[in-house]
Amino acid sequence: MATVVIMPRQGQSVESCIITAFNKKVGDTVEKGDVLFSYETDKSSFDEPAPEAGTILAIFREEGDDVPCLENVLVIGKEGEDVSAFAPAAAAPAAEAPAAPAAAAEAAPAAPAAPAVAAAAPATTEGVGSISPRARLLAEKTHADLLKAVPTGPNGRIIERDVQKLLDLGLTVSPAARDGYTAATEGTGINGKVVLGDLNAPAAAPAAAEAAPEAAFEDVKIPNIRKIIAKQMCASLTTMAQLTLNTSFDASKMIALRGSLKAGAEKMGLANITYNDMILFAVSRVLLNHKVLNAHYLNDDTMRYFKTVNLGVAVDTERGLMVPTVFGAEKMSLNQLAKSAKSVISDAQGGKINPDLLKGATFTVSNLGSMGIESFTPIVNPPQTAILGVGGITKRVKEVGGEDVTYSAMSLSLTIDHRAIDGADGARFLKELCFALENFDLLLTK
Amino acid sequence: MPKSQYVDPGKAFEAGYIHFEDIPVCQYKKTLAEEKKIYTKDDFMRIYRDMAIIREFETMLNEVKVKSEYNGVKYNNPGPAHLSIGQEASAVGEAYCLDINDFSFGSHRSHGEILAKGLSSIYKLTDEEVYDIMKEFLGGAVLAVVEKQMKSENIKDLAINFLLYGALAEIFARQTGFNRGLGGSMHAFFIPFGLMPNNAIVGASAPIALGAALYKRSNHKPGIVISNCGDGATGRGPVLEALNFASMDQITKLWGMDGKFSDGGMPILFNVFNNHYGMGGQTRGETMGFDMAARLGAGFNPSQMHAERVNGYDPLAVIDAVTRKKKLLLEGKGPALLDVVTYRVSGHSPSDSSTYRTQEEIDAWKAADPILAFKNKLVKGKIATEEDFAVMHEQITARMTEIMKLAINDEISPRMDLNKDPDAISSIMFSNQKVKSMDPSREAEMLMPKEECPRVKEIKGKIRTAKDADGKPVSKMKMYNICDGLFEPIIDKFYDDPTLIAYGEDNRDWGGAFGVYKKMTEAVPYHRFFNSPISESAIVGSAVGYAMCGGRAIVELMYADFIGCAGDEIFNQMAKWQAMSAGILKMPITLRVSVGSKYGAQHSQDWTALCAHIPGLKVVFPATPADAKGLMTSTLDGTDPVIFFESQRIYGIGEEFMAGGVPEGHYEVPLGEPDIKREGKDVTILTIGAVLYRALEAAKILEEKYGVSAEIIDARTIVPFNYEKVIESVKKTGKILLVGDACERNSVMRDMASNITEMCFDYLDGPAVVVGSRNWITPAFELEKSFFPQADWIIDALHEKIMPLPGHVPTNNFTDIEKVERAKKGL
Repeated sequence: MATVVIMPRQGQSVESCIITAFNKKVGDTVEKGDVLFSYETDKSSFDEPAPEAGTILAIFREEGDDVPCLENVLVIGKEGEDVSAFAPAAAAPAAEAPAAPAAAAEAAPAAPAAPAVAAAAPATTEGVGSISPRARLLAEKTHADLLKAVPTGPNGRIIERDVQKLLDLGLTVSPAARDGYTAATEGTGINGKVVLGDLNAPAAAPAAAEAAPEAAFEDVKIPNIRKIIAKQMCASLTTMAQLTLNTSFDASKMIALRGSLKAGAEKMGLANITYNDMILFAVSRVLLNHKVLNAHYLNDDTMRYFKTVNLGVAVDTERGLMVPTVFGAEKMSLNQLAKSAKSVISDAQGGKINPDLLKGATFTVSNLGSMGIESFTPIVNPPQTAILGVGGITKRVKEVGGEDVTYSAMSLSLTIDHRAIDGADGARFLKELCFALENFDLLLTK
Repeated sequence: MPKSQYVDPGKAFEAGYIHFEDIPVCQYKKTLAEEKKIYTKDDFMRIYRDMAIIREFETMLNEVKVKSEYNGVKYNNPGPAHLSIGQEASAVGEAYCLDINDFSFGSHRSHGEILAKGLSSIYKLTDEEVYDIMKEFLGGAVLAVVEKQMKSENIKDLAINFLLYGALAEIFARQTGFNRGLGGSMHAFFIPFGLMPNNAIVGASAPIALGAALYKRSNHKPGIVISNCGDGATGRGPVLEALNFASMDQITKLWGMDGKFSDGGMPILFNVFNNHYGMGGQTRGETMGFDMAARLGAGFNPSQMHAERVNGYDPLAVIDAVTRKKKLLLEGKGPALLDVVTYRVSGHSPSDSSTYRTQEEIDAWKAADPILAFKNKLVKGKIATEEDFAVMHEQITARMTEIMKLAINDEISPRMDLNKDPDAISSIMFSNQKVKSMDPSREAEMLMPKEECPRVKEIKGKIRTAKDADGKPVSKMKMYNICDGLFEPIIDKFYDDPTLIAYGEDNRDWGGAFGVYKKMTEAVPYHRFFNSPISESAIVGSAVGYAMCGGRAIVELMYADFIGCAGDEIFNQMAKWQAMSAGILKMPITLRVSVGSKYGAQHSQDWTALCAHIPGLKVVFPATPADAKGLMTSTLDGTDPVIFFESQRIYGIGEEFMAGGVPEGHYEVPLGEPDIKREGKDVTILTIGAVLYRALEAAKILEEKYGVSAEIIDARTIVPFNYEKVIESVKKTGKILLVGDACERNSVMRDMASNITEMCFDYLDGPAVVVGSRNWITPAFELEKSFFPQADWIIDALHEKIMPLPGHVPTNNFTDIEKVERAKKGL
């Protein structure tokens, strides 16, 4: 009996995955455990091992296909077996069987309903009167600012030419959106009216002229995960009023503690606790006193305040930025928190992260300190209201008893969504956080 | 209107009388002794057996209907069962005289005729012939069941099982039925036995049977045609039209005028199974005035159609009459008419409670039962004993029970599985074949070589573009126009396909009302090209019968407005028979209709939507000489029924689009492909028919005055229709107007607009807007500009509904408010 290999459901919220590569082709023999194909979700990628030995009898999909979870991908069996029953259309009833684990998956931490990608929704048309489908489509692709559109269609309808007019005037919602426009227009061929492209062209032309006669280049297809990041980052910047506050604190006590932890960790059976873990710990304790920062700005009507702290941890991976979540951080000891954070970070870096752990954060910490960055402006991950950027440790001077004394300072940058949070709110949070970090020993005893 | 026949005013007013011959009424008087000289014992017994089989077959259907059980076998048949219990002697008597070259057509009540003619054919064919027929039919599917599941004594016995099973499986809608279960009780037929389609529309078979006779007559085929109908059907126009059409003088007076092709009158017998009722309406005494149906013959030609009234309860009287009529027909003295008196003891259908007749009447006819009477006669005449009949009945009942068990067995006789094979019906809606000649074995009968045909010569000298090399308009007299575009493929087909015939009102000497057939008379003999009576039902219906027999026909209705006169023939007959026959029949008919103007409300209508609505018809509407030629070529090469719309506004127009002019020789435009007549980028205008030229005018104004570039797509064909080109265009422009001369409500443009909106929704910059004629009567020519779409309507509609044009002042009201108000008033 032939065995069908389906597209696994990697997490309850995942509806489909993209096949990035097939390692085998029809007719190949495989051993149990051989990688059959690789696939990725929005943020993770996976390898699918052969469930048993045999010959690949049929492959129903192609590389690059977006395959709904639980649908048949290929069939392994003995040569000559009939596989027609597994062809995706006919396989529908069979595919229902694996749906049972759904209940188990629901045991995963209850995550807020709003998915992380919600903010990637198309250009807003709120406040805009009637608009033709074509005009809407063009506006979505180009980020034209429909609020500025002058409708010239019948009954006050915005029609294509009105959006075109916006584009001719450069009235898009942000520079980022304009970049999005030029990228997105490639290959869409809407009547050849690439107005922003025209705007960009003169700037680009001289630069090209000065460069070497022919610049060497390579066109690489943008991976799915990069597209998602691009969308989300643009959406973040185009929909929020972001404001960054910078400060620093005396990290001497933290450094001392880290020294003693390093020495005694093994003996005490503790995790390797890093500065970042300490910052996460401090944030998890302070954050609940500033509920506006531990919140989601759902829409212009509703804020959602959280009673637990689910910390998003920005992780640099080969595939790009990922933000896995440590759920319920406020209840964890420093040691537990460090272990949890390590676990999700390593999963993310290995590309094995459960997609359900890539959402649900109530606040995010992004640390570039280890790479020598002193200060930066992190971008809020919507619908969260704030993100903390952590810089490196530098020597600073302060006056103690009339003398200049050097000390190790660590910088913090808090970006907030000004729609939800005022500057002073953010400053108060930073002040309390700095105090906690400067008195980490006291924090631990709390 | 032949010039050879002089209409003399002197003779027109001559005094005199019309004389009638006596019409015989039940004059059959042969004694048994005389009959014994004609028939052997086997003949007598076979006549009896055939009647008994029919009776048992219908008894079984009646039991199944009324009690859901026959002989202990339970079954529920939701389909119809119009029985003819009591009429068996009429059916068997008629069939006794016929062989497989004689085609019979019937009605919704024709089980008896099917079985009678089937049994008669089986008797007359050799074992080899009948086995070959069964083996070849539907790939042997029906034969396989009876061969495998039943024991048969010999080939003839097997063939009887085949006939009964094939008919019953068809009635029960099984895939193993004669027409895969798609025809059913009222339409069962089996062409290899000369059993042509029966018809659920009362009287509809008459013009179709006429077409079969026309096929025999025009193609010199052996045999006669029987048009069976009930007495009720004689009230229907198509029946009366067929009686007249079959009797027209030209068949004997003109069709032989070249001295080569005279075969005498139409070989058709109109046979009325006069059971006294049309459903419940009593024809004699209530709904008709003819007293006896045989009187009809006296109205149609001087030979009174050799009409006769016969005792249909005596099979030998029927045989006697049909034998004599068949002889007359084969001698070229047709048509003929028989009024066969019979009685339907069973109800019209099982739901008939006989409220229109008394039990006393039914009992009296039951007492005169033809089967019983014939048995008594044979017993009395010592031809057979009661015992012989008892044995025979036992065998018939056993056979019928076995057949029924087979036909209701879902394993052996499955129904079509549309889940497993969703295209089973889709694949037979059209035959989609390309057949150059329907009979390549014969030479086409023509009066001169093609090059000598005066019209061919005339066209040779014409300029095939609208403008000459210098860009100057070509004079009308020298310009190749749409009429020429239609003519060329038609004359070619006359030479290529010996079966092609063309007819309609004023087709021959007049050259068609609009000159398409001008100067064709000299080349095509009468029996292939003639003037029909003004009988639209008979024109289209006969074409259907002609095609059923394997011929190809071009028929013409002059104005599209006359489609209504041939409604049933177009919508139920021409459209349906390919699929109802499970793809056995082909329907290569071109029905030319012309959309008028100038002639007011009943002569100016574009009825493409009516035709496009009916599944099974292809609908085309060319607007240029090249398209007219290319589409006519494809239509004539095809095997499907095509309603070929033409427009009187543009018959005289030259070719404006093909740079090299209308191609010479064979030129095809495939059906279903719209054509971009003008490229543009800002708005798409999809046109149907002659409105193309008004759209071009609009495009010119849009370009010059408003800088808007319009793309014009000419639909050319309506069914089938490939939307791909239109979708591409709308993706480009985001705007579409659909324009045609049909009244806007429920027009083809509306249907297409809806489809385009569904398929291009995200690309649309405004609604798909329809510009059609007003929902009015067509007014006089001088007022037509307020009725038919004009160039400024198109511009105004674009301005008001899709994209206001700076500086444009509309003069027509296309606003939503106006639309709502008009709709409220039904306008």
